Amino acid sequence: MSVMKGRQVEWKLLFLTGVYAMAGALALYLGSAGTPDRKVVFACISVIAAYFLVSVYWHIAGYRGDCFLLPLTALLSTTGLVFLFRLDPAYGVRQFFWLLIGLGVLLLTSRLLLDFRFLSDYKYIYALAGLIVLILPVFFGHEQGGAKSWLDIGILHFQPSEFVKILVVLFLASYLSENRAVLTVGTRNLGGMSLPGPQEWGPLLAMWGISLLLLVFQKDLGAALIYFSTFLTMVYVATSRISYVLFGFALFIAGAAASFYMFDHVRARVEIWMNPWPTIETTGYQIIQSLFAINSGGVLGSGLGLGYPGYIPAVHTDLIFSAICEELGLAGGAGIIILFMIFVYRGIRIALKTSDDFAALAASGLTSLLGIQAFIIIAGVTKLLPLTGITLPYISYGGSSLVANFILLGLLLNISHEEESNI
Amino acid sequence: MKKNILKLGFLLLGLLLVLVGYLSYLQVVKDPALAANPYNRRTRERETQVRRGNIYDARGVVLAKTEFDGKQGRRVYPLGDDAAHIIGYISDRYGRAGLESAYDPYLLGMEGSDSIRNFINKILGKEQKGGDLTLTIDSSLQGLAEQLLGGRRGAVVLVDIRTGALRVVASAPGYDPNHLDENWPSLVQAADSPLLNRATQGAYPPGSTFKIITAAGALAAKPGLANSIFNCQGYLMVGGYKLTDLAAHGEVDLKKALAVSCNTTFAQLGLGMGADNFYRVFKAFGMDQDPDPGIAVRPGTLAAPGDMTQTELASSAIGQGEVLVSPLHMALAAAAIANQGVIMRPYLVDSVKDSTGEIVQSAVQRQWLTATTPAISGIIKEGMVDAVRSGTATAAAVSGTQMAGKTGSAQNPHGQTHAWFVGFAPAEQPRLAVAVVLENAGSGGSVAAPVAGRLLATALAKGY
Repeated sequence: MSVMKGRQVEWKLLFLTGVYAMAGALALYLGSAGTPDRKVVFACISVIAAYFLVSVYWHIAGYRGDCFLLPLTALLSTTGLVFLFRLDPAYGVRQFFWLLIGLGVLLLTSRLLLDFRFLSDYKYIYALAGLIVLILPVFFGHEQGGAKSWLDIGILHFQPSEFVKILVVLFLASYLSENRAVLTVGTRNLGGMSLPGPQEWGPLLAMWGISLLLLVFQKDLGAALIYFSTFLTMVYVATSRISYVLFGFALFIAGAAASFYMFDHVRARVEIWMNPWPTIETTGYQIIQSLFAINSGGVLGSGLGLGYPGYIPAVHTDLIFSAICEELGLAGGAGIIILFMIFVYRGIRIALKTSDDFAALAASGLTSLLGIQAFIIIAGVTKLLPLTGITLPYISYGGSSLVANFILLGLLLNISHEEESNI
Repeated sequence: MKKNILKLGFLLLGLLLVLVGYLSYLQVVKDPALAANPYNRRTRERETQVRRGNIYDARGVVLAKTEFDGKQGRRVYPLGDDAAHIIGYISDRYGRAGLESAYDPYLLGMEGSDSIRNFINKILGKEQKGGDLTLTIDSSLQGLAEQLLGGRRGAVVLVDIRTGALRVVASAPGYDPNHLDENWPSLVQAADSPLLNRATQGAYPPGSTFKIITAAGALAAKPGLANSIFNCQGYLMVGGYKLTDLAAHGEVDLKKALAVSCNTTFAQLGLGMGADNFYRVFKAFGMDQDPDPGIAVRPGTLAAPGDMTQTELASSAIGQGEVLVSPLHMALAAAAIANQGVIMRPYLVDSVKDSTGEIVQSAVQRQWLTATTPAISGIIKEGMVDAVRSGTATAAAVSGTQMAGKTGSAQNPHGQTHAWFVGFAPAEQPRLAVAVVLENAGSGGSVAAPVAGRLLATALAKGY
């Protein structure tokens, strides 16, 4: 696809997104009895305009990144914006500003990190940086919603794990592409199975172990799950060795079992998941309210603004998907999942088209990071998996999450830009 | 490596697809218990905004309505205890039950065109209204049944065999849904479980009333049995156990055995047909199913054929031992005999109207099961007619109408026998079938049969 044509497709899709977002904003503005909040209309117009500006800038700069990912993100983020205004206009206003900042960061990523390849040269530096940032909350962080994963530095209040996850993917992409051959074949033989030496997998395992351990101390189980799954998928993609995945899985089971016995908060989560009903007034309250909301939605939902998602604790962050299911029904909930599926499809396409290992690994890692995060939180609010406190990418309220995911988007687009330019 | 990336893509898409499937399940296969849970404040919230619809009986008598005291609505049940188990209740604190719960979406105007109308009304700030239910229940018969039960633990079911319409579903002791919140603590602690709907949720040994089913199974397995003669010496030795009878009935045929309720004969019939055939006839009469009349029914239970010893089979054949069923199941079994082997699907809700009075749902009368053949049901019917005329069920007789029936006195671990009666009337052209059970009340012939007789006679006189 030519540069021109690609961006034109993007504009058409963004235009449709604008119509969609305005329909939501107007439904909210006209439908809400009492105090109609006109800010939502203004916020939606401004956000769509900002998306257009990013796209127009890319057009001028001759940027060749994938033309579907930006509109997809726009659909997801405006859905989130409208719902936040519906749930609590104060969060809506803050999310509006975070979205603008996120788009700014996306623009910077597509400009400053266009030559993303240099990132692979400094892997140990940001592996170290990532670790330090992850360690900080253990000592200086404060707890929010049971997880001690927040850092408070003056005006900024952020969740380092959201950013470090991208560093982890880049580190792994770089490390695995360098050591791929050795890891695949192995250098020594152990009982008929060829294994690579400790110098190859040692740093890898250490990196994984430490990050996991930290997450356990931060009580951020959702993030631990995302890190771990992404780690396994990337190792598999790089080495084709299912034995690594199985070994990792066994390690995970062992780790999960150990932490189940060692940590009360882990045990509590699992027990709530298995049977929340006895603790309906305390710890089971949240997931049961989420199920009530989803169940009441039906196929078409109660209609925007006409449900009662306010009964769900933390509905604006982790459980926003339940609110969508209540008011937009199966049609809306499945629609959101399908958007994530298209995102994954585009991401995998980018990874398949790349010409070298580092880019391919980075693209598939970033894609699976996003896909897995969406899966884990949606599975959590529907009680398919234990509920863990993570955000639904681009939709949930939260600055760290939005900015980090826009960086992720930018990197993915940069990889796509490079491969389109090579042809 | 590209191949692996492709696999990763399929894995991720597969995971997300699983979510779509699971979400469809959660949102489309609705769990009414979730909406009824007291911690779910959604329906309660709607309750304050919507004028909830009324519930009427088959003749238009109000069974449930909402009275307004200023802005605050209060649900009123004019019948009090009489129909509480079917109509149910709505409580902020203790959730909701019965038809009030099952038909919430209609009563609150959340279905069909009402949902759109109320959506617009909500935006315009107008009053939102729900639809009405009309039941098949006759409130005067329901009241009579409760009166005949007289506060004793037990249940009565009266069903129209031609349509499946349930005219009476009574259970005692009851509770007053008008004062549920105040009485709740004592209701849940009461030893005689007044909240339990014994008619549909009870699990009783059916005693000798079950012999009509054993007979149907035996005749299906060996048609020649209709003309066989059995010799009853007053007891039967099975696997070292002595199964005793009320009397030595001497030489009896099948009809006579039904009329005098001969245990020895039916124990032999059970042993003769074998556990597999016995299990088959249990299922043929729908005993193991919930016929879904609109409120929940506890499916009956019977030990699997492989697990039954000879002794257990013999005692199950006379309705003891391993058999547990609800009164509703036994009323449907009587209906099957009355209706040439066919059981119509039982139902409680005749029609649902929306807030403008338009019918949005009306009961479809359809066959539920074919339990047995017309020939077999005819033989059993004759035995049941004899039982009322000259056998164990004479107390059910009412002048002017020929009845058919079968009594039962089911032994149980909790004291005196449960008194049972199942039957139908008029015998020559049956219209109504009945089942009565009275817990620990003595023999079916003297205690349960008169209740059934009075109720059937009154119902027939009313034209049902």
